Amino acid sequence: MSALSGITIIETAERVCGEWAGRLLADFGAEVIKLEQPGGSPTRRYGPHVDGKGAVFAYCNTNKKSVVVDLEAESGRAMLARLLGRADALIDDHDPQWCKHLGLAPANLSERFPRLVHCQITPFGQHAPEDHHRAWPINVAAAGGWAWHTPSESDPADPPLMGAGRFMPDYESGLDAAMATAASLLRQRRTGEGQFIDLSEVAVQISRADVVLGRVLAGDDEPSRSRRRYDMGGPGDVFACADGFVHLVMMTSAQWQGLKDIMGNPAWAEQFPQDWLEFHCTPERVASFRQQFRPWIASQRRDDVTVAAQAKCVPLAPVNAAPDLIANEQYRHRGHFQSLGGANYPTAAYRMTASPVRLASTAPAPDADRDEVLP
Amino acid sequence: MSYRQRGGPLAGVRVLAVAKVWAGPYAAKLLAQLGAEVIKVESASALDEMRAYGGVDIEHAPYFLSQNTEALSVRVNLKSAEGIAQLKKMIAVSDIVLDNLRPGALDKLGLSYEAMKAIRPDIIHVSIKMYGSDGPLGYQTGYAPSFAAIGGLTSLVGHEGKVPRGMNIRYGDTTAGAAAAFGAIAALHHRERTGEGQQVDLSAVEAISGLVGDSLFAFGLTGEPPVHRGNTHDELSPHGFFPTRNNGWISIACDGDEEWRALADELGLAEPADDPRFTTHESRCLNRSALEAELGRLTKALDGSDLARRLRARGVAAWPAASSLDLMSEDLFWSNGTFRMVINGNGDARPVVGSSWRIEPDGAELERGAPTLGEHDEYVYRELLGLDEDEYAALKASGAIS
Repeated sequence: MSALSGITIIETAERVCGEWAGRLLADFGAEVIKLEQPGGSPTRRYGPHVDGKGAVFAYCNTNKKSVVVDLEAESGRAMLARLLGRADALIDDHDPQWCKHLGLAPANLSERFPRLVHCQITPFGQHAPEDHHRAWPINVAAAGGWAWHTPSESDPADPPLMGAGRFMPDYESGLDAAMATAASLLRQRRTGEGQFIDLSEVAVQISRADVVLGRVLAGDDEPSRSRRRYDMGGPGDVFACADGFVHLVMMTSAQWQGLKDIMGNPAWAEQFPQDWLEFHCTPERVASFRQQFRPWIASQRRDDVTVAAQAKCVPLAPVNAAPDLIANEQYRHRGHFQSLGGANYPTAAYRMTASPVRLASTAPAPDADRDEVLP
Repeated sequence: MSYRQRGGPLAGVRVLAVAKVWAGPYAAKLLAQLGAEVIKVESASALDEMRAYGGVDIEHAPYFLSQNTEALSVRVNLKSAEGIAQLKKMIAVSDIVLDNLRPGALDKLGLSYEAMKAIRPDIIHVSIKMYGSDGPLGYQTGYAPSFAAIGGLTSLVGHEGKVPRGMNIRYGDTTAGAAAAFGAIAALHHRERTGEGQQVDLSAVEAISGLVGDSLFAFGLTGEPPVHRGNTHDELSPHGFFPTRNNGWISIACDGDEEWRALADELGLAEPADDPRFTTHESRCLNRSALEAELGRLTKALDGSDLARRLRARGVAAWPAASSLDLMSEDLFWSNGTFRMVINGNGDARPVVGSSWRIEPDGAELERGAPTLGEHDEYVYRELLGLDEDEYAALKASGAIS
């Protein structure tokens, strides 16, 4: 039996952030009923498409049921009301105008369904100005500060970066939404009462930078327009090795000694004070280190050198790509990928001894579960 | 019993945080933001490194103060047998033990999950390790950028044609912490239903893979390894960052031809509809470099905030890329609790980053900032564990509380 079995969640979300929140809860056995508008979820259009099915939808909607409902029609809204009457939670990611139009405004819902946990995901939260309620992930990454500071040591001539793929801020938002919803559902079990959760996607981005930005807010660090404000100033970076890339980060003299050891204590390294990382980490020294480290690391094989570094407690890590992770022995050991319906799904990062995440069904076709959900 | 009634959905849940640096304390903070009572186990002889970063005064350490909102602090010397004995008593009165020490560190103290279970059968042990708690690579350790590199994020973040250098070096700890906090709450549900506790064994590296999951999944379907592609989005065009006045950058995303025409019109692009290179989404994708160059030429002279407002008024999603100065100057974040004031254990008021959600009714009160070392010794030892004055004094004298 899974952690959330017996809990029913209605998902009217039509973006990846809301669908991801639903998927994380469905992972634990909640019955997530996805209501799709005629034409199907807009996320079905995201490629690549294989056998006519969009990969993003397939990935974000496992373990869910689908019913197509026309919310513009009176009958559709009546059906939604019936479903909400027996549901434990609602997850939505539309703007306040849309919600109001369909009778899904928070105040309205809490009055009609006092037991319902209602999680509403919007770019800047409910109290933002009218023109703040529609944003794509790139806008969220921009407004939340990570894009401006990515990559580290940005060249002012290069554009900021939104992150990996198309939806990274959506996955972060979905995670916080699922977390707050699950917490509120625990309270519902104990009190029988619902709550409204107003989740801001940009605030998620900001929350993920808490100790970096917190020091700026408090005046420990000067706020500035520098692209390098979030950087650490050490030698950490991606380096090319013989057969790929590695990432090195070093902060202590013990790590420096470990690195010197695996390099065979070259003469150039003796020019650096033993405690340079802690006390003498000037930009010049960082540049000099990198310049002399590069030829050596370029001659090393990725997997060998990173394992040798681990033995010396040096955080030198392989820069893995998708094929590396599929083949990764630790991922295999933990069962990170789960096979379902002939496809290989990345699953959760938490292995749980009593209520593990389990993928039971592939993403539904539109309206696949009408008969079961609406008998 | 709790130190203070703060409300919130996790009111009544107690978390014992044997956690340091960033990912573990962040997970604890999220649970505290949801109303849990977080007790941070500390010791003068084994400080959270965050108390040492950025200065010598452990009660005014910038990193530590930026993070440990509403945490209580209890001193326990884990190098003393008596300290360990007290820690076991704390486990007995906690719902969750959150640990991000090095792999095997708690085991060596006689506090494996099995041992904790013997103390409290329904305990939830949340373990945060770089690669998980066991397995062939479970011994490995690293920092956030190591998680990002191993988990497949770094290779997918970079400018086209250049070496992928990944997200900013700070990215990763908090994502892992959030995944751990969610796992902890799922475990609370399971316990509520069945009475059974469990171990939540988080791999920070896999939490990172969760940010690129659709790319990993698509690779399995198509056999085409995903690569970094700057800010490209196959379904939106134009889509990217464009230069604005004073070295600014604006993010612009157009969904469909209508939004594209609105953008072109607002920028005064000459006869956009008639330029066959840009008429349709397909042609815009095909001529992406030319399109981006053309747009950049026009946006370069404009003020980013003003342009963003004008574009949004035309239905085009556009925001300037915010610097730390922009973020802290944004009134909305101060008014909606994204930034908020707390009172630290040291007595100072301090602005901190708040939660990403507002919950009504009965959201958790967030008024206290980071604790001073051992600020809540008295509460934990005297009230929670029920020690009398003499026993408490003896523990202090022996160094078990230090």
